Amino acid sequence: MIVWLMLLLAGVTAPPRTHTVEIRGMEFHPAVLTAAVGDTVVWINRDIVPHTATATGSGTKKWDTGQLGQGQTGRYVVSRAGAINYACTFHPTMHGKLIIR
Amino acid sequence: MLPFAVTLALTAVLQAQSAAPAQAPDLTDPEVAHVAVTANSIDIDAAKFAQTRTRNAAVKQFAATMITDHTAVNAQAAALATKLGVTPADNAVSQSLQSGAAQAHSALESLQGGAFDRAYMDREVAYHQAVLDAIDKVLIPTTENAELKRLLVDVRPAIATHLEHAKQVRSQLSAPARTGK
Repeated sequence: MIVWLMLLLAGVTAPPRTHTVEIRGMEFHPAVLTAAVGDTVVWINRDIVPHTATATGSGTKKWDTGQLGQGQTGRYVVSRAGAINYACTFHPTMHGKLIIR
Repeated sequence: MLPFAVTLALTAVLQAQSAAPAQAPDLTDPEVAHVAVTANSIDIDAAKFAQTRTRNAAVKQFAATMITDHTAVNAQAAALATKLGVTPADNAVSQSLQSGAAQAHSALESLQGGAFDRAYMDREVAYHQAVLDAIDKVLIPTTENAELKRLLVDVRPAIATHLEHAKQVRSQLSAPARTGK
């Protein structure tokens, strides 16, 4: 409990960070990313084919990078804690997950 | 029967390869480029036709992805060919691919509704499997130019993903919840 509180406190007080998820070889790298509320997640598409990073599931607040062509980036400023699954709308076999502290 | 028609050409190449594994495939780089562009164009055309015929949302979405992805790959291939000063050269493999595609198209043309969806997705599963095998066993090994080889290596995961996507959509079509003939 104390450790958890310390982590929570650290999460609140630490300056926002930017995390990068690379999309290459039809996969999100890393597939699971841990971040804090207020952080920014940036997806960069290294593939030839277009991709998206789009929140899935009905309960979560929806976000979507929109179509990212080769070399393009999309971002999401994390607004709430919890685990968020996301996928590529063009390639339903591509999955990623954000774990927000 | 239908899913195999379009893959006959590639299968023939693969069988020739496995029969003589030590022998290098007889394709020049301009011919490899032509096979790649032909294989992409065939799938784009099939997807465009499927979009006019299907009413299934998952099949529609799959077809849209095929058009987007194979168009992007062809644009990349064209840019590379221009950069390398390579003119894609027509060849026997490209020609058999095209005649296989024409056969598959006429078989699909007579189908409607669920029967069309199942036949189209069967074909897409078989086609992407055949293209994947051709990339691994024929196209990558035979290509001499490093950048062209790199393009094939880069494209491979997309084809593998399409194959999984196609299998996923196909399995949804045969779900017991679906009714009708």
